[in-house]
Amino acid sequence: MAVEEKVLTDREKELAKTFEATKDMLRKSDHQVGMVMDLNKCIGCQLCSMACKTLWTSFEGREYMWWNKVNTMPGKGSPKDWEKMGGGYKVLFEGKVMEPVQGKHPTRKEFGDLWKFNWNEVVNSKAGDVHLQAKNQEDDSVPDWSMNWDEDQGAGTYPNSFYFYLPRICNHCSYPACVDACPRNAIYKRETDGAVVIDQDRCKGYRFCLEACPYKVIYFNFVTDKSMKCIFCYPRLEQNVANACARQCTARVRWVGFVDKPESIIYKLVKVWKVALPLHSEFGTNPNVFYIPPLAPSRLDDSGKIDPTKPRIPRDYLRYLFGPEVDKSLEVMQTELDKVRKGGKSELMDILIAREWKKMFDIFDKDPAIMERKPAKAGIYTRPGIKE
Amino acid sequence: MANITCKKVSAATKDLLDCKNPLWQTEKELIETAATPLANQPSPYIKGVYSEDKIGAVKKLWMKSVHNGESIFFYFEWESPQANMKIQDINVFADGVALLMPLKEIDKTPITEMGTKDFPTTSWYWRPDFDDKPKNQVAHGLSTSLYTEKSSIAASSKWENGKWHVVMGRTLKANKPGEETVDLAPGGKIGIGFAVWEGSNGERGGVKAFSKEWRDLVIEA
Repeated sequence: MAVEEKVLTDREKELAKTFEATKDMLRKSDHQVGMVMDLNKCIGCQLCSMACKTLWTSFEGREYMWWNKVNTMPGKGSPKDWEKMGGGYKVLFEGKVMEPVQGKHPTRKEFGDLWKFNWNEVVNSKAGDVHLQAKNQEDDSVPDWSMNWDEDQGAGTYPNSFYFYLPRICNHCSYPACVDACPRNAIYKRETDGAVVIDQDRCKGYRFCLEACPYKVIYFNFVTDKSMKCIFCYPRLEQNVANACARQCTARVRWVGFVDKPESIIYKLVKVWKVALPLHSEFGTNPNVFYIPPLAPSRLDDSGKIDPTKPRIPRDYLRYLFGPEVDKSLEVMQTELDKVRKGGKSELMDILIAREWKKMFDIFDKDPAIMERKPAKAGIYTRPGIKE
Repeated sequence: MANITCKKVSAATKDLLDCKNPLWQTEKELIETAATPLANQPSPYIKGVYSEDKIGAVKKLWMKSVHNGESIFFYFEWESPQANMKIQDINVFADGVALLMPLKEIDKTPITEMGTKDFPTTSWYWRPDFDDKPKNQVAHGLSTSLYTEKSSIAASSKWENGKWHVVMGRTLKANKPGEETVDLAPGGKIGIGFAVWEGSNGERGGVKAFSKEWRDLVIEA
């Protein structure tokens, strides 16, 4: 905590109350849309990343951004070593006190800077003289990190080596550290779907949000001098079209739907079956993106035989990512899987197999291709209470 | 607090806008600045993790103001160990300086809150990466400052031997008086306040050094 306790003046107390009330209002949403990603199915193809890039981050200072990315785990991720950069909250007294934790700014190289390639040199040289090389945009250095740079690494020793993929977007938290961090009240949760968005008219690029977000999913736009992040495809959600990353996923990894409606699959996976878990819940921000942890195969013993008592992915590592609840989640999935293997039926397995693709998207199952496309009307939305 | 006098001089606008003009090396006003109080930070994050004793690296700002009947100029000089010119990386912050004026009655406009809903302030905000086009801002209290669409403020600046030299100028007559900017008239008087940001100390937004009290700027007839 900062400085010694000070005696506040009446005006300072009044201001503190107003500030708290404003943040409460900016955090409030009438409904919350969430996403579940099944790590047993993700094949790391990055179609989600490309869908997002094509739609949102291909121009005007966003080129280096990956609002959606797939990291290989165990790994340092992107930005490099983001799990060690701080931010989020220390949660005390069962969530009654949320003490912010100091965070660190990632650098553009830790995210993976925008690369320049020497195409001209290659094309204009004799075959074999020059090879294609990437350079960082800012200082011409040779890149040593980028989105999923460590994808071939994994962990463990043969024949028990392992890795799995972890797709990441903004978690659209219920208690977003970025909302609290912004001194300009430029970040808020949308009332209708709980998406966390940065008002580009109010943002002045101070980057307190980048410091405070423990997942390091906010980027700084060097061209517009503003911070930007995944918008949960809210313009699509408004039209009942699922997020681009979810629709594009070839492996049927992602479900989209209301976290707060019992009939939604998200609700079933998170609150009824309790198999979908937030990433690093100890950060205290209450994410609304959840993961089905990987039920990896068992280890091989020294004689090369399967030892069903030992998991290939060390349980401690999964506990580190998903908390102690991961034990129960994996146990439930194993039980349900065994049931089906013996010829039985399982509601959970039926959901996870996702035979009917469209059912993965709750009410957001409209096909964008058949929709009437009118140019978007320029509109200004002002979140009540933040103007003046 | 003593008044600050804005003397009338007969010199061309283009010369006065030059921060190297010897005029700016004549007698200047010392402005003592202090850390912005954490209690006034609208962000619980800043309140929780920043320390007030580390905010406000620049403690002293020297300034001078003159007008030539048509335009008014403000010169600033302060020590800054390195020039933080531009935001090359996410963890890099630019230096800056600003002046603040009330749009209405000074005694109802708290300087520590950049005004209120009913008593707003206007400010001229210079940063080296604004390319000598300082921004005009309007604020209706803490957390509300916004750049106005057009700013008629011009500037010139240089950093040399650990010191910033910045001059900002604008016509005395405002383009949108009362709403976004104030009319400044020879023979008149207006409240004025200042703020300085040291980029290498991570200062940006409300994390800065500022003058805690209004001074009166007396514009010579």
